[in-house]
Amino acid sequence: MAEEEWEPKILAFCCNWCSYAGADAAGMERRQVPPTIRVIRVMCSGRIDPAFVLMGLLEGADAVLVTGCHIGDCHYVNANNKTRNRYEFLKEFVDELGLEPDRLWLRWISASEGALFADMVREVTEKIKKIGPSPLRRDWKK
Amino acid sequence: MSRCYLAWAKDERIREKGADGGFVTATLVSALETGFIDIALVVAKKSVYEGIPVLTSNPEVVKECAGSLHGAPINLTKYVVEYAAEKRIGLPTKPCDARGIIEQAKRRQVNLDNIFMIGLNCGGTLHPLRMREMAADFYGLDPDSVVKEEIKEGKIFLVSKEAGGKEKETAIKIDELEQKGYGRRDACKSCVTKIPTSSDLACGNWGVPKGEEKKTFVEVLTAKGEAILKNAIDSGYVCIEEAPGEGIEMRRKIEAGMQKLAESWKERIDEVNALSRSGRFDFYVDALKNCIHCGACKEVCPVCACEKEAKCLDMNDERDSYAISMYNVLRIFHLMDSCIHCGQCEDVCPVDIPLTLIQRRFSERMQRHLGYTPGMSVDEKPPLYETELRWNAESMMK
Repeated sequence: MAEEEWEPKILAFCCNWCSYAGADAAGMERRQVPPTIRVIRVMCSGRIDPAFVLMGLLEGADAVLVTGCHIGDCHYVNANNKTRNRYEFLKEFVDELGLEPDRLWLRWISASEGALFADMVREVTEKIKKIGPSPLRRDWKK
Repeated sequence: MSRCYLAWAKDERIREKGADGGFVTATLVSALETGFIDIALVVAKKSVYEGIPVLTSNPEVVKECAGSLHGAPINLTKYVVEYAAEKRIGLPTKPCDARGIIEQAKRRQVNLDNIFMIGLNCGGTLHPLRMREMAADFYGLDPDSVVKEEIKEGKIFLVSKEAGGKEKETAIKIDELEQKGYGRRDACKSCVTKIPTSSDLACGNWGVPKGEEKKTFVEVLTAKGEAILKNAIDSGYVCIEEAPGEGIEMRRKIEAGMQKLAESWKERIDEVNALSRSGRFDFYVDALKNCIHCGACKEVCPVCACEKEAKCLDMNDERDSYAISMYNVLRIFHLMDSCIHCGQCEDVCPVDIPLTLIQRRFSERMQRHLGYTPGMSVDEKPPLYETELRWNAESMMK
């Protein structure tokens, strides 16, 4: 059997009001999105406990995307400020642990920015393909 | 607020027994006897290698506990939280005790108005086990025969009781011991908080002029500190005089010198610094894979206020096959902004994980990035809980 090309597994947290709708818009506009992404919908990006991101990485995700409404547009007043601050902690953590900084992403995507969403997923997938699988990933089938 | 004095105990017995003039003991005794505080938390000396925290309202017990004890690296924070959060309490605090209590106050575990922290300048403590090894290997003594230890003029003095009941004093330079991996704990070697500026009073022998030994240099840092000092003077337990200018200068120089040494130690004991990114990853996985999840590091941590419902315990599952367990990942993550580098976690770790180094590696870079030092002021909130935007919203774009 021919060697299959390795496909990264990317975990994306999308907030219900903006980026999830943005992902939806990407589909409505018939944009090609690489099939590497697994979306988890949360009500707000402020709901994303850093523990979720860390657990995603420990479970073997090659990259984790955190997406939410633009600052000032949050449907829960200012919850994405917290996301922004936590991201800074996560970034330092991931870097110190010895993972590549490209394994963690934060992007603001509004409900109408389907193109941005598709572009982002493509960009992440390309970068991760270059870096290779996460050292935390456990592949049991061999 | 900051004012400096030389102070000593009026009672000759206290003055003789205390390390430097018995000021700390006399202050606590007077506060207890006049009802200024309800209870005192002191460390009772069991042997040179062991100290037991004692909560007492009996001034006699406090008098018994006078003197320094370098071989018992206890952090008193959790004892205050657990047993005396509601009482007016006075206690001697090393810089890491004071910082721990401030961190607990930020997390609303204690009421700082009721806590009188009599700070002690601290050059570092020794791990009891290392100290026993040190006594046997370097001093050539039977560890159990050691009855007294002292650190002064850059040397560690051990006094042992010989067969005939005679006492023998042996001294070795700290530097010499530390080159070989003994001496102070790693956390203390690389600690830069030598004067407890977050407590109410800061006491020590740095800055006491030559020929005036048996006096304590006291810096008053808060209104609470002033109150407890005034109480001690008024009740006739303590005498003070204005500290001489050269004494203040001398103390500052000693502090700066020790901080410089600590900075150099930080690099010398950091074995991860030389590693590549993947080497670093392997080091962390390798070091933390020994963890048996006993939870001792969380239990003693002077910053952690999560108790039993902690996220690190809750989200950890022994059946997971993660390279690093959720418990360790979350503990390191949660301490990134708040770790005070006291090294208690490493002291209690049953499988000797180098937690001092690991926590320092993660938290120090984050604290530098934040421009935040934990345990210094109650008014600064832990940045992880902040809702204000600390960083530019768009600067995370790659």
